Amino acid sequence: MFEASAPLSERRQVARDMFVLGFDAPAVAAAAKAGQFVNLGLQPGPLLRRPFSVYRAGGGRVEIVLRAVGEGTSQLLSLREGDLVSVLGPLGTGFRFDPAWRSVALVSGGLGLAPMLLAARDARAAGLSVHWVHGARTAWDLGSEWDGEEATWATDDGSRGFQGSAVAAVEEEFGAVLACGPNPMLAAVAERWPDAQVAVETYMGCGTGVCLGCAVPLTAGGYDRACREGPVYRAADVDWPALPSHLYYTAVPVASPSRPSPATGGGEVPV
Amino acid sequence: MTADLSVDLGHLRLRGPVIAASGTFGYGTEVPLLERRTLAAVVSKGIFLRPRPGTPPPRIVETPSGMLNAIGLQGPGAEALLRDYAPLWSAWDFPVLVNINGETVEEYGELTAQLDGVPGVGGFEVNISCPNVEQGGMYFGNDPRAAADVTRAVRRRTKLPVWVKLTPNVGDIAEVARAVEDAGADALCAVNTFLGMSIDLHSFRPRLSFRTGGLSGPAIRPLALHLAHQVARNVQVPVIGIGGIAGPEDALEFLVAGCAAVQVGTATFADPRAIAGVHDGIAAYLESKGWTSLKELPRYLPLD
Repeated sequence: MFEASAPLSERRQVARDMFVLGFDAPAVAAAAKAGQFVNLGLQPGPLLRRPFSVYRAGGGRVEIVLRAVGEGTSQLLSLREGDLVSVLGPLGTGFRFDPAWRSVALVSGGLGLAPMLLAARDARAAGLSVHWVHGARTAWDLGSEWDGEEATWATDDGSRGFQGSAVAAVEEEFGAVLACGPNPMLAAVAERWPDAQVAVETYMGCGTGVCLGCAVPLTAGGYDRACREGPVYRAADVDWPALPSHLYYTAVPVASPSRPSPATGGGEVPV
Repeated sequence: MTADLSVDLGHLRLRGPVIAASGTFGYGTEVPLLERRTLAAVVSKGIFLRPRPGTPPPRIVETPSGMLNAIGLQGPGAEALLRDYAPLWSAWDFPVLVNINGETVEEYGELTAQLDGVPGVGGFEVNISCPNVEQGGMYFGNDPRAAADVTRAVRRRTKLPVWVKLTPNVGDIAEVARAVEDAGADALCAVNTFLGMSIDLHSFRPRLSFRTGGLSGPAIRPLALHLAHQVARNVQVPVIGIGGIAGPEDALEFLVAGCAAVQVGTATFADPRAIAGVHDGIAAYLESKGWTSLKELPRYLPLD
């Protein structure tokens, strides 16, 4: 694990309201594995760091993908090139890969695309054939970046690819399934593929295992930490009904018509 | 030359004034990037006699300049603590105090008896912000008599340092402070988290599954400073200041206000090096004043 005061060196839009930010943090980039995350600290900024899956890592740079959903993400998206962010990572336990699987399906929904490019990279390195199935609300909300051979798109409104969820869009059998997306989607993954590896989302305090704030309820009873034992779990090991399914990151967006939600006001977000 | 930052808390000499607060430092093995030379002592995550699963998520919520937590004192219990951590602690060059909890006075005593004398256990911090099951769930720390009963139960079973961590959620903290001092506490820690709440306007329900939580972070600093100062003016034993300390100036305020040492907690979540920053900043401040020892720092403790 490393901590680096890292300059913003990249920003690009990859879908409606969805952006990639890159930070120069060579040690973190070199160590990051699929499914791991970085915890970003802003100074000045909110009290706690903000956790993000590592989206891409290489050439000395760590990339994350995000939407403005609250104070921290809005502040990150207003950074200018060269602005410094404290990057702590890589953190957590990522996906496992086994050459014996021969093939792997990467199943993601919405911002759940975040760990999938690294998952594809690490899966190929393990000699696996990779098929990505990614879903979003509309064609505008799908991520535009994919360097794999095979991909299937799914949209709720049918504006691109399969009409329906990413989970429903998976037709073939694969040696293994890796998934990331909203927790209700991951609960559906657990129903269909109990042995799938899923990357969960929780509120998080420290990101390093001390605060016990990111508790993940287990079917075996008790809790463990998304930041240490997770964020990747065997799907059937998570007690899905006990895991909060919707995370709201900000206190303001429902309140005032004069202050539109950053999550829907794409025009406010500097590109 | 480097200023002498050592402090004496009763018979316990610490190499510096900055202690890791309970619940923000795990069992001392988790926090990365720590410069251990700056760490005076660690207070472990709170422990009960038996294992506890903790509360369901969400357990934390960020609030303006602070955070609410309701972890529910998740922990492995005394047996696992002694097996998994005490042997590691015994090799460290700073003391680890165990933050102890109970549902009854007797349970505090029994836990102390199990831990006392085990190599690696350097002392006890008594968390009295627990509901007293025998008194209808009233918090021990809200009742001077119950707080004193718990303190005595621990004191009787150990000669190691006994610190009592006071709750701010009381009418008269000085009364509780005097009661636990009389019951044999070696030092008082002021203060624990403030009871708070936050509502989610999507679900119209509390953001924490436990409804309420403990507020920590810079938001509570002036409140905590005031209470720590009140405690320091009302007892003879050393006071350890706690509450939103993130930088050296914050710590120096507590020291000037009458505290002998401080604990750094929530700040470690944001910055794993926070304790080193506070320690080194205090040293730099003393040197800038031309002082060679923390004992030269003026204290503000009027007698009126």
